[in-house]
Amino acid sequence: MPRMTFIERDGTRRDVDAPLGLSVLEIAHQHGVDIEGACEGSLACSTCHVIVDPAWFRKLAEPTEDEEDMLDLAFGLTETSRLGCQIVITEALDGLVVKLPAGTRNMLNE
Amino acid sequence: MTSPPPRPNRPVYLDNQATTRCDPRVVTAMLPWFTEHYGNPHSVEHVMGTEAEAVVEDARAQVAALVGADAKELVFTSGATESNNIAIKGAARFAGNERRRIVTVATEHKCVLESVADLAEEGFEPVFLPVRPDGLLDPNVLRAALEVPTLLVSVMAVNNEIGVVQDIAALAAIAKQAGALFHTDIAQAAGKIPLDLTGWKVDLASISGHKIYGPKGVGALYVRRRPRVRLKPLFSGGGQERGLRSGTLPAPLIVGLSEACRLAQAEMAEEATRLTGLRDRLLDRLRATIPDIAVNGSMAVRIPGNLNLTFPAATATDLMARVPDLCVSTGSACSSATIEPSYVLRALGLSDDTAARTLRIGIGRFTSPADIDYAAAALAAAHAGAPAPGVERFAQA
Repeated sequence: MPRMTFIERDGTRRDVDAPLGLSVLEIAHQHGVDIEGACEGSLACSTCHVIVDPAWFRKLAEPTEDEEDMLDLAFGLTETSRLGCQIVITEALDGLVVKLPAGTRNMLNE
Repeated sequence: MTSPPPRPNRPVYLDNQATTRCDPRVVTAMLPWFTEHYGNPHSVEHVMGTEAEAVVEDARAQVAALVGADAKELVFTSGATESNNIAIKGAARFAGNERRRIVTVATEHKCVLESVADLAEEGFEPVFLPVRPDGLLDPNVLRAALEVPTLLVSVMAVNNEIGVVQDIAALAAIAKQAGALFHTDIAQAAGKIPLDLTGWKVDLASISGHKIYGPKGVGALYVRRRPRVRLKPLFSGGGQERGLRSGTLPAPLIVGLSEACRLAQAEMAEEATRLTGLRDRLLDRLRATIPDIAVNGSMAVRIPGNLNLTFPAATATDLMARVPDLCVSTGSACSSATIEPSYVLRALGLSDDTAARTLRIGIGRFTSPADIDYAAAALAAAHAGAPAPGVERFAQA
């Protein structure tokens, strides 16, 4: 099974199983990694914002317009930011590394 | 001595690169949005808010149509100075990667030069490129500057003092090839020349309302969506305008900007022909009496309404004092608070003495043939040394 790494806000590295076909958001939830995902992957919020390791960023499928629109609203956006719910694990992503941003904005609570 | 023409009933305004008269049709379109439909376009829970929101979105599409963009790519601002600041500082601060070089041109508007210069304090490397004597940027000079990996290139489409038109499509292509973002200040170009921001692969562009017969205090910033260009906003706030520009949108001003864009698009070709005719008429008449008058900046690639003229034998300050009924300028209004010679003219290679004998003349939509005839006669008389008509009358009294 592929593996992936979350780098938590305090710098802790969490190496976890990453089952094929699951999203980074779903994997985070399986392992109790602190990513919110308020809209449960329906592209209505930016609370599952993750910062992808630059070496891995190029290997991801291009974001859709809808994902870009949500990323526009994310806090602490970087050049390698993506939404965790839109990254689906494939064999090619075995070893993926993502970092949690410093904060998120939940539009659903505003 | 050439005698001055009779004084006009009101000042003759030939400073249309500083600002333009708000078109009465624009004012008419704006008025109901001040007094009748005054809802906040962000108040989406009631009809007053949603009608304001709808008119703002229609305006976005209208402005986009004028510049060759998609409505979603436009963010409303207070004008081109704010748009230029958001574009340049926002792009630099968002990227903040290993690319530190920011390239612009010596003849840019002050707000571009100052925005780029200010970024030096944040560890960026500002580069100010020279222009050729005709005011145009040599593409090879840009290519050479981009040999160092560059974050952003900013080149204005039309210069505000000499009216020359840069080849934005070609310059943007050079920047893109080098992996840099490309920003252009189109404050003096929008509505005057055809623009195709999408086709030209421009990433960021700044638009102003009051240069195109719209109201002062409103403008727009074009931010490319595909591929997405990201900026760090300057304002903290409610996250309006996709988070790029917090603050309540001024719906009446935005309606004015929209109507100004609609009129400019509809009348651009006809207006260009008319203004070219007026400009040539003025230049021909001045040359007939002052053969050694010189035009600064390329005449071949220039907006129709601009002349920048060096007079052989009188300073601009003296000429303006002798013709108080004629509104022209010595340089850009934004720099005229200082008595320094125009840095744009210096960049063309003019000496300080030559720059001091230079006037900027901006012909616009509301300029009449009679205005041109007055300006030609008054400037000719002033150049020959005739005192201001008001002073003369006072002396006789």
